[in-house]
Amino acid sequence: MIRTEKLNKFFGSTQALKGVSFEIQKGEIVGFLGRNGAGKTTLMRILTSYLPASSGAVTIDGKDVLKDSLAVRRKIGYLPETPPLYPNMTVRDYVRFAAQLKDVPAKGISAQVEKILDQCYLRKVAHRTISVLSKGYQQRVGIAQAIINDPQILILDEPTNGLDPVQIQRVRELIKNLEKDRTVIISTHILSEIEQIAQRVLIIKDGEIVADDALSNLLCDEQGWQQSLEEVFLRLSQ
Amino acid sequence: MNKIWAIARKELAAYFQSPVAYILLIVTVSVFNIFFYVIIDNNQEATLRDVFKVMEFLFVFIVPLLTMKTFAEEKAAGTMEFLMTTPIRNSAIVLGKYLGSIIFFTLIILLTSIYYVIVEFFAAPDRAATLTGYLGIWLEGAMFIAIGLFISSLTRSQIVAAICSYIILFLLYFSLNFIQYTQGAAEAIVRYAATLSHAENFAVGLLTTADLAYYLSTILFCLVLTRISIENRLWR
Ligand SMILES: Nc1ncnc2c1ncn2[C@@H]1O[C@H](COP(=O)(O)OP(=O)(O)OP(=O)(O)O)[C@@H](O)[C@H]1O
Ligand SMILES: [Mg+2]
Repeated sequence: MIRTEKLNKFFGSTQALKGVSFEIQKGEIVGFLGRNGAGKTTLMRILTSYLPASSGAVTIDGKDVLKDSLAVRRKIGYLPETPPLYPNMTVRDYVRFAAQLKDVPAKGISAQVEKILDQCYLRKVAHRTISVLSKGYQQRVGIAQAIINDPQILILDEPTNGLDPVQIQRVRELIKNLEKDRTVIISTHILSEIEQIAQRVLIIKDGEIVADDALSNLLCDEQGWQQSLEEVFLRLSQ
Repeated sequence: MNKIWAIARKELAAYFQSPVAYILLIVTVSVFNIFFYVIIDNNQEATLRDVFKVMEFLFVFIVPLLTMKTFAEEKAAGTMEFLMTTPIRNSAIVLGKYLGSIIFFTLIILLTSIYYVIVEFFAAPDRAATLTGYLGIWLEGAMFIAIGLFISSLTRSQIVAAICSYIILFLLYFSLNFIQYTQGAAEAIVRYAATLSHAENFAVGLLTTADLAYYLSTILFCLVLTRISIENRLWR
């Protein structure tokens, strides 16, 4: 479903991605792990067609993300690292605005907006201006925006950043409860989160993929001993 | 089409939520008010011709304040990343934003039509000339907005956008004053580019295709440049 081939990304002279290739099947939940500055956000921006790769290609369902950008964007729900919010809008207006831009049929918009507000536990603050919400609530509005059109592919850049433990739990539930044939890519620094929801983990170090494997495989060392994801991560990413 | 409208509505709502917009509204109407009385009193003539000239000058000052945030703010706040990853064409983003600014600007202009009603009430003004005069200042404002929109799309700083728009609008507005230092082709170009040489015709009721073409083509040109500019950020 998502296929990248030898992606390289340069920002001036710094190389943020080095020959990144992978393939993600429909229905997979994949975690991106990596230290600060490893290139997770850059990779996600390339997948969503926001940034072009310096070389290499990304195809989603066989469509090139840059050449067939509109078709690709229709399939993707994307939560950027900083939730992209308009501070002066109310929560409901913003979610509705997102729905309009993302081709939710005009007739069903109101129902869909209310459904998503409920799913993201935003009903209580739906009438409030976004700028006065706490960080966690703003993050949830960002998530609401990403899932408003029931996208087949969800790309979430640190979705639980700033959420309280209860909300983190709920976001996990939300992601798990998405229909089975939906593809989810999630980046996070909370390893336990990955352990709970991801089936597959990609560890990125300085723009290179140093591990790409099923979670269960990663958690076994060569001798077949169990190891924690933290151990694996610390070993591979330094 | 719906998406263009959705963006335009969002822009309009943002205008009405910002104090800057209200200040501009009040300033425009007050300036119109003051000059209306001064000019009518001086000329003893039932025409808005000279008031229009003042308005054009005023737009040089207010339009950059209206347009500076259009794209710069979205870039700075990261919402550009949202807009550009939703399934909407770049040209629709540009048109939506342009439409939003234009509607707000039109509202300001409509408010000043009260004064026309006053003139109409007390005297018999040249209706055709007033209409073309309004069309003239509206086109002028629409062109300034297109320029401001383009400049705003080049930067993430609203201040930079405002200052650069001021520079360009001042050049366009005052270039006629420097015409004596130019010759031949340069003179023709300056005369053509100067907004004043076109706006004046409208104020006296003269509607020519050359003037219309000047405004409309500049608007189109700026909108196309804006689209290229937001597309181009992809290729950095
Ligand atoms: N617009 C940009 N201009 C220049 N360099 C950039 C730009 N965006 C990212 N980089 C560089 O690319 C590298 C990867 O950054 P990226 O944001 O992808 O990291 P990350 O894995 O998301 O880190 P974090 O965990 O801190 O979010 C960093 O070295 C960063 O400085
Ligand atoms: Mg990041």
